[in-house]
Order: sequence, then C-alpha cells, then structure tokens
Amino acid sequence: MTFWGALLHNGTYQAVASALFKTQRRQFLILASLPLFWIFFANLGPIVEMFWIGFLDSYPPKVGHEPQFTLANWAAFFQDQVFIVPFFRTLAFSFIFTAITLLITYPVAYFLAKHVKRKNQLLFLLLLLIPFWVGEIVRTYAIMILLGNNGAVNLALKSLGLIERPIPFMYTGFSLGVGIIYLTALYMLLPLYSALEKLPDNYLEAAADLGAGAWTRFRRITLPLSKEGIASGCTLVFLISTGYYATPVLLGGPRSTVFAETIAGFFHVAGDQWPMGAAFSSIMLIATLGVTGLFLKLMGRDGKGMMR
Amino acid sequence: MTRNTRILMSVIYWAFIVYLFVPLALMVTMGFKDSKFIGFPIRSWTLDWYTAVIQDTEVLSVFGYSMTIAISTTILSLIIGTWIAVFLGPNKFRGKAIIFALACLPAVIPGIISAIALRIFARLIDIEPGMFAIILGHTVHNVPFVALVVMARLSTQPKSHIEAARDLGADSIVAFFRVTLPYLKPALIGAGIFCMLLSFDDFVRAFFLGGYQPTLPVLIFAKLRSGMSPEINAISTIVLIMTAILGLWAERSMRRLNKGS
Repeated sequence: MTFWGALLHNGTYQAVASALFKTQRRQFLILASLPLFWIFFANLGPIVEMFWIGFLDSYPPKVGHEPQFTLANWAAFFQDQVFIVPFFRTLAFSFIFTAITLLITYPVAYFLAKHVKRKNQLLFLLLLLIPFWVGEIVRTYAIMILLGNNGAVNLALKSLGLIERPIPFMYTGFSLGVGIIYLTALYMLLPLYSALEKLPDNYLEAAADLGAGAWTRFRRITLPLSKEGIASGCTLVFLISTGYYATPVLLGGPRSTVFAETIAGFFHVAGDQWPMGAAFSSIMLIATLGVTGLFLKLMGRDGKGMMR
Repeated sequence: MTRNTRILMSVIYWAFIVYLFVPLALMVTMGFKDSKFIGFPIRSWTLDWYTAVIQDTEVLSVFGYSMTIAISTTILSLIIGTWIAVFLGPNKFRGKAIIFALACLPAVIPGIISAIALRIFARLIDIEPGMFAIILGHTVHNVPFVALVVMARLSTQPKSHIEAARDLGADSIVAFFRVTLPYLKPALIGAGIFCMLLSFDDFVRAFFLGGYQPTLPVLIFAKLRSGMSPEINAISTIVLIMTAILGLWAERSMRRLNKGS
C-alpha cells in the first residue's frame, strides 16, 4: 500500500482528520489560521509597531526611563530643512525617474508586443529579463564603472575628441537617475508589455480603414487600452525607486541626498535615534502610498490587480 | 504603423538592450584587468582576481551564509505563500479584498521603510540582528510573490481534479498533497528560484537586519565604500553568472504555466 493509502486507513489519522474537518466552518478556520496569522503578525505588525515607536520619546527603552508619548518626532520633520529638502527631493526624483522610465520603455514594450513575431517574443523578452535578475549592488557597481571619470562613457567621448577632461557624471542626480532607471525599468516594462500584447490588431486596422492617422490611432486606441499597464508600471516604479538606499549612497552625492539616507542615519550614523527614524519612515510611507493612491484614482482604478 | 516608426522603435529596443548589457559587460571585462586601478584603458589581462576570490576564506564563508539565508527563506516563503494562495484563491468571504491587499503589502512598500519597520519589529519580538532576523525579513518580502504566482496557477486547475480525488476516497489533505501540489509544481519551482534570487540579491533588509556577519551584497557594498577593485568585479561576475543560470531555469519552469498542465 502506498504511503497515502496507509495514511488514509490509519486510525489515529482518521480520528484527527475527522475532528479537524467536522464542519465546513471548522475546515475554513483551519485553512485561514496560518495565512491570517502571517498577514497580521508579519505584514501589519512591523508597520504598526513602527508608527507606534514614532510617538515615543525614547526607544529602545533605557534603564530607569519609561518611554513617554510625544509628538516631537513628527514635529521635528516640519521644522528642519535638513529633513524636508531630501524628502521632497526623493518624491521629485522618483516622479521624474518614473516618467522617464515610462517614455523609454513604452516603445520597447510596443515593439516587443506588436512588431516581434509571436514565436520570437519570448526570446526578445528573455534578453530584457536577464540583466534584471542581477542584484541591486552588482548593477549599481556596473553603473559606477560606466560613468566614472575613467569610465567607459568618458573614455569614448575622449577618444572621439569631444572632450579633453572627463565629465564628472558620478555623484550627481544624473548618475543616480541612470542607476535607478537601470534597476526599475523592468517593473514598468512587464505591465506595459502584457497590456499591449492583449490589444487586438484588428482595432488598429479598423481605425486605419476608417482613415485615422498613426498619431490618432495611438492617442485614441493604443494609449487608452494600455492605461492599465501604465498605471501598474508607474505605481511599482515609483514605490520601488523611493526605497533604494545603497544606490543613492554609491551613485549620489551631497547634492542628491535622498530621504532613505536621512532615515538610515537615525539607525546607523548619528547613534540610535529610533523614534525619529520611525516617525520619518511613517511620514514617507504615508506620502508614497498617498501619492500612488491618488495617481491610481486619477487613472480611474482602485488598487486591485496592481501586482499583475 | 508606418515604416519609419517601426524602424525607430526597433532602434529604441536595441538601444535599450545596449543600455542594459553594456554596464554589465564592462564590469565583467574589468575583472580581468591586470591592475588594481579600475578604469580604462586595459593594457594587460589576468585571471589572478578570480583565483584570489576562490581562495579568499572570508568571501567563501559569506557566500555560504548568504546561501543558507536564501535557502531557508525560500522554503519558508513557499510554505506560507502556498498556504495563503490556497486560502485566498478559491474561498469567498467578507473582507477578502482587504486581506488580499494586506497579503500583497510587503511587496510594494519601499525597501528602506520595510527594512526599518522589520528592524524595529525584530527588537519587539526579541530577535537579535543576524541570520534569523534576515530570514524573517526576506520571508515577509517574498511571500506575496509566491502567493500571487501560486494563485495564478491554482485558478487554472480544473475543479474535476479535486472532485475525482474525493470520489476515490481522498480527504482534503490527501487530495491537496496528491493532486493539487503536483499540479502546482512548475509554479512552485519558478516562484522558489525567484525567492532565492530575491533573497540572495537583497541588500537593504540584510544591511539593517544583519549582525556582524555580512551577506554577500553587504560585503560587496562595504568593499565598494572603501574603494573599487577588480576583486569586486570577480566576485560580482561569479554572482552574475549564477543568477543568470538560476533565472533562466526559473523562466523555463514558469513558461510551462502558460501552456496549461
């Protein structure tokens, strides 16, 4: 008898199983137990705890001092330019990087979905996927080699005689942008591709037969029907790009400090100021989720299907 | 679409491919440079950096540490993610949309915030920074991806599979292990490899949740901060080749999803 057959005929197993699955309701509750525990404990728990710590005057608790409730950490954010400037810079950077990523990847996705033969699409897509499996640090390093003063771009420009002295690309908003777009483009590409791939060719042919020019066809058919992909792609790229820490440290400079570095400072550099860091993280979470929520609303969609 | 726009788009596609591959190609090339100084031009070539890396016990132990974390994370994520998918996929109940959104939450929270929140949470539940904290952090982040991939696969499974198993005397547990799980296999392999890559490549969570022992990305980061060196290129190239192989394998496995069973 197989293992499973023996199990089904085992008296102890039968007793346990029938007790567990006596009613539909009990079966449902058992099935729900781990998922609900995990979602509330591991997904929600850290966020709630982070918000809570942001309202305490000291944490981790010190001997002889009971943490008190305070609004000072939240107030500090609005009182100091040192904090507000990186915060809005991060939002602005992410917004600009998202827009550029959309402009670059839209033609790529369109070409892939509409001009590449169906049997070759996988190969062309795979070619795009390979670099994105490589980790954040390795890809950031690759960009450092590309843009450095002795990097490939400067070498190429120099040997063409266009420049005499290397252009300092590194440690600027430009190098940060090149790096972040390099890291996030795939999150835009895939939703766009899947939206455009579903677009039936005969819609465009019908429009052309009715006399619509290329621009009209794009504006009236392709663009509205790929809105879903644009919305998902922009949301993902925006959220993910605000969260990078190592890339801004390695590629950015003092004039492109982002909020992730400010937050990290409270946990590493300036000693442990957890409540302040927690409050600032909460502010950033509210801001980023708020911006994307508003954006999705404008695009006429709720959050559903964002991951697909 | 006119001929010109077609040509323009293919030019943009290939330019984009160049943008994706050139930095990586340069990085690989630089690992064979016979000089400590990173930059062009390269005058002579060597394999010394690779032999140095392979003999470097620190790099090897860090590599093993990262692998342990990645494998543990993958096993945990597959179990929890599949359970969530089996729960959320077929069942209808009040508040399902909210539960689904909360289940996906860790996948969309910006990395730095997720790392900070988990660092604080690890302190609350009394986990010291180190391997267990990183495994927890990576599992929280990876579970949504597993759940989504498995849910997609689950939605294509014919109801008759389970009904047939039940008619033949299996209860729901046996039916799950003997019918549903084999059906999910390609999705699980794909999602599993994806988890390994996410965990192995992750920097921000490993950085904030880790103790004194660094993971590989954290080690590379630390080395980069003290200056570029072809040694880093050699390590990165080895990582790059491994990730590409794993990624292609995952892709092959996931592709079967679209073809049915």
